[in-house]
Amino acid sequence: MKKLLSAVLCLLLAMSLLVAANAEGVVVEAVPNEGQFEGQELSILVSADWMADRYDETIARFEETYGVTVDLQTLPADQYFDVLTSGLANGTCADVFWIQSNPVGAIESMIGDPENRCIDFTGADWQNVMPESRQSACISGGKLYGLQVWNNSPEYVMLYNKTLFDELGLAVPTTYAELKDVCAKIAEQGITPWFMAGADGWRHQLAFFQIGGVYEEATPGLYDALNNNTATFAGNEKMLEVLGQFKELSDLGYFGEDWIGTDSTNQSNEFADRTVAMTIENSGTIKQIKDDTGTEDEFGLFLCPLGDNTWYTTSPAGPTMFGYKGTEHEDLVRAWFQFVCTPESLQEILDNSPKYTNLHVNVDIQQHWLPEEEAFIATVPAEKMECCVLQNGTKYTNDYWMQFGQDMIEYVQGGIDANEVLSRMDGYRAEAAANVGDPAWK
Amino acid sequence: MNKKKVYPQWFLILPLVLYIVFFLFPSLLGVFYSFTDWGRATPKNGLHFVGLKNYIDIFTSNKNYSNGIWNTLKFTLVSNVVKIIPALFLAIILFEGIRGMGAYRTVFYLPSIIPFVIIGIIFTSVLNFKNGMLNGALEAIGLGALKQKWLSDLNVVWKSIYMVDAWRGIGYVMTIFMTGLSTIDKSYYEAAKVDGANFWQRLWNVTLPMMRGAIMINLVFGVTYGLKVFDIVYVLTNGGPGHATEVMTTYSFQLYGAGSYGLATAFNAILLLITMVAGILIVRGMSRKGAA
Repeated sequence: MKKLLSAVLCLLLAMSLLVAANAEGVVVEAVPNEGQFEGQELSILVSADWMADRYDETIARFEETYGVTVDLQTLPADQYFDVLTSGLANGTCADVFWIQSNPVGAIESMIGDPENRCIDFTGADWQNVMPESRQSACISGGKLYGLQVWNNSPEYVMLYNKTLFDELGLAVPTTYAELKDVCAKIAEQGITPWFMAGADGWRHQLAFFQIGGVYEEATPGLYDALNNNTATFAGNEKMLEVLGQFKELSDLGYFGEDWIGTDSTNQSNEFADRTVAMTIENSGTIKQIKDDTGTEDEFGLFLCPLGDNTWYTTSPAGPTMFGYKGTEHEDLVRAWFQFVCTPESLQEILDNSPKYTNLHVNVDIQQHWLPEEEAFIATVPAEKMECCVLQNGTKYTNDYWMQFGQDMIEYVQGGIDANEVLSRMDGYRAEAAANVGDPAWK
Repeated sequence: MNKKKVYPQWFLILPLVLYIVFFLFPSLLGVFYSFTDWGRATPKNGLHFVGLKNYIDIFTSNKNYSNGIWNTLKFTLVSNVVKIIPALFLAIILFEGIRGMGAYRTVFYLPSIIPFVIIGIIFTSVLNFKNGMLNGALEAIGLGALKQKWLSDLNVVWKSIYMVDAWRGIGYVMTIFMTGLSTIDKSYYEAAKVDGANFWQRLWNVTLPMMRGAIMINLVFGVTYGLKVFDIVYVLTNGGPGHATEVMTTYSFQLYGAGSYGLATAFNAILLLITMVAGILIVRGMSRKGAA
């Protein structure tokens, strides 16, 4: 059932990728200002990059409109979840908080007890601003708790410097062997083939998880079995193969001399300076690199070839905003959610998002799809889009994203073997299942 | 007439109540929870007694939690050695009355008032392999061969943490030593000099015995700080690369974040036990020496 649900959701998402813009035109109006919030403060707790600068103007207008102040608490990704859960557990959470939600139990496993910790927005005007596939990541027990305003761009595929590839006479790799060959040729030029920002703590795992389709293809029914606790990560041949390939690329130096200690702050410049050739990224990064650096180089997208992947997995998931039930300003929180969903705010958020080219909303706003995105999507057969990314298609996996990343690094540095990395993920998931009393793990 | 004023014992009641309510009770409650399956969904599913399961998990899990205990003990030992010995010599040198003593004192003490978050931002940047100031400086003075992956090489990362921790903490330790030095009567040194004692003999036979109190304070503070270390590791490496620099508190923090509160409190209970034992041993050891 879950598999069917995931497939339907992914199909919905995939179909919407083929449509350049949504034009259903849901219109939400802001709560009228009658001075009811004057002098109040709205606190928002968010992980870095989930709001970035794109909400700044909207926040400023919100403050101005209602005479309130917004205390935006942005934390580094590797510290965010720990701080959030501490706040939720001890009753000191911000009025508004974010989680990386998905339709397979993220709300329950990450928030624990949504009924007592989240404001129930069921029936809110803004619910249908979100397409149904997104709504599923915001609803728990039939109640609407979250708001997911996220883009629908090709997410975390290989982004490469097309001009550089052309100059070096390189073709886009479609298999692991081809990737290795391309990396070798790029490395010969003194260029880091694959920019890997290990110090961010959350990026390097993408190469393993975004290609979920290859695992499902190699073991049909795997997602379902993982969700029913009748299969494990440990011992999965395809996963072991992919981890082995990742380590091999690292050992060969194709991720750079110190990828584990490198963060992504200088990524745009690295691309513009041609010190790196590819990375795993969102398509909107193309726009950002060009905006940041003014480079004349052209960029393109291709599927991550680890595990000889041919799948463009989709992700009906993303950073999602929730209202904290313990807030002293519930009406202000509701007004904030409403305000974010007005066409003006949504357009503002998109226009202020250098990394994103569209918002996946049922509101008639001006989208900014890139030709590179359209070109990439055209290369992938529709049936190859009908699978979710591993982390959001299987329960409790995404909750341990950071720990899995640490385990991958321990493996790459020789501390443990590949199967231990997978075995630990089984252990993490079992812990999460126990924490929420999942009957499949009893 | 010398009248010794004795304050009534009920003066103790308020601090005792505060101590019980805000320290003893939560600590004992934490120990109790460490024997339960307390988790994120406990409000929904109830709390169950699981005996020693959490403790067994810590020592037998494939997640290498026990390495966090070993790292904590190692940090406690090394971080104190690299702070206490240099701080003692700095204190002695400054106490000798060199020119600009006040300025040096301020300069050495200043890092200890900088918040850890700022230290993290500064040093993750300074120690960056590719663009960091330290490797850049080494390169500039022709010592490029000494460049290191300060925060990502398994063989170097702990040294980096000790280095930053010492940079931050030496001034504080030194200040306590200077206070201790100021209590030693100069006549002891003069007598020792008359007897022909050199610097090391004066240090060994006069300074160190007379500074027992300051040494004990630094040891107790240093050991409890080392056992409870969190901030410096969290801001510099967050337990990485991989899990190489995980300590008990970072594991506990992670487990708490993951909703495994019972397991997290078991970690804290072990930490509480180790800290208590270490504290008692130090105080007893120093008291005995004092009595001898």
